[in-house]
Amino acid sequence: MSEASVEARRRSVGFLLRFVALLVVFYFIVASPPVNDAVIVPFTAGIASVSGKILNSLGEKAEVSGTEIRSSSFGVNIENGCNGVETGLLFGAAVLAFPARWSRRLLGLLLGFLAIQALNLFRVITLFWIGLHRPALFNSSHTVIWQSVVVLFGVLLFLLWASRERRLSAAPSPTVRDRPRKG
Amino acid sequence: MTPENRRREASPAPGSADPLLTRRAALRGLVGFLLALAFWFGFSRAYEKTLAFGSGALTNLFESPDVTRLEARDGEILLDRRDFPPRSARPGLSGPDIHFNFVLLVALFALDPRPLRGAHVARFLAAAAVLWLIHVIALVFQVHSVYVTSLGAWSAANYGRVARNFWAAGWHFYLIAGRFAAPFALWWLFGRREEETVLEKPRRRTKGRRSKG
Repeated sequence: MSEASVEARRRSVGFLLRFVALLVVFYFIVASPPVNDAVIVPFTAGIASVSGKILNSLGEKAEVSGTEIRSSSFGVNIENGCNGVETGLLFGAAVLAFPARWSRRLLGLLLGFLAIQALNLFRVITLFWIGLHRPALFNSSHTVIWQSVVVLFGVLLFLLWASRERRLSAAPSPTVRDRPRKG
Repeated sequence: MTPENRRREASPAPGSADPLLTRRAALRGLVGFLLALAFWFGFSRAYEKTLAFGSGALTNLFESPDVTRLEARDGEILLDRRDFPPRSARPGLSGPDIHFNFVLLVALFALDPRPLRGAHVARFLAAAAVLWLIHVIALVFQVHSVYVTSLGAWSAANYGRVARNFWAAGWHFYLIAGRFAAPFALWWLFGRREEETVLEKPRRRTKGRRSKG
């Protein structure tokens, strides 16, 4: 094994250790009752509220109460694990563990979290629709398919960001001659 | 795919041999995800039997007398104890909550430019074996989280505060973070080989052909 590949392996394992450590720290932060009550629950209620509005605009008669979305024949309660925060934690731990400039990390975190939440909103709306109109498919859609899709999306977003970050980090600084000309 | 994208997939990342995420890799991941879903729906019940056996045996190792019995049935793992009253209800633990992340592991391994080559499949099998072990341990935590939080006076009498927090927090950590992170960490550890990537990618670039995925 060459020296370069040993070094690459060492960096790879270092990333993994930082990732796991950050994930554990993030878990204890979001699972602590003060943070859960003051941040996570209101945030989840916000997801329920936005989902309810979108469902109503699509013609479904949905009522929202806290983190619950209900109709006359079906209801869901958005819990931890369904609010996109868990994928956000995974994405955040990976981005922060990856060697990069802080400004790029913060931009990646912000855009990634927004993208994950957008997909999760779509997930909540479609799951409610499935529960209402195709209840037999709800359990497998909820536990396996959508959960996997959202997490996979978070991982792919990280890989996309990390690939771009590596390119940007390794690219030489542009000189005056390299810059594109106008016109 | 544009020539620029082909060039990116065929050449190593500057300053690193890590594989880049390309459209083709994402497409392979999607195909792997769909195949894994089909496999998961077909074999999850049989898989749960192996989990119930492994977790039951592991739990019994640290019990005296060994009273816990786990039985996989219809997507649930029934938790029984020999000292439960015969007519009391048996808790049912959700199997998919524990092991659906197998689908993620397959999808991530499918990102590789040549996912079916022998060495890669061998590494996938090693990662899947570790994931099975993680599932077994997660089920042990779930069983004990039921013991420490859901059996009323019996729980309070048999478990102290430290034990309650250890088992309940361990299971909660798996639910919130561990089950999502495990496939990613295993893929990162087993599924990416920097030295192989360095050797393979320039060869494909000199051929100037699109790689078969």
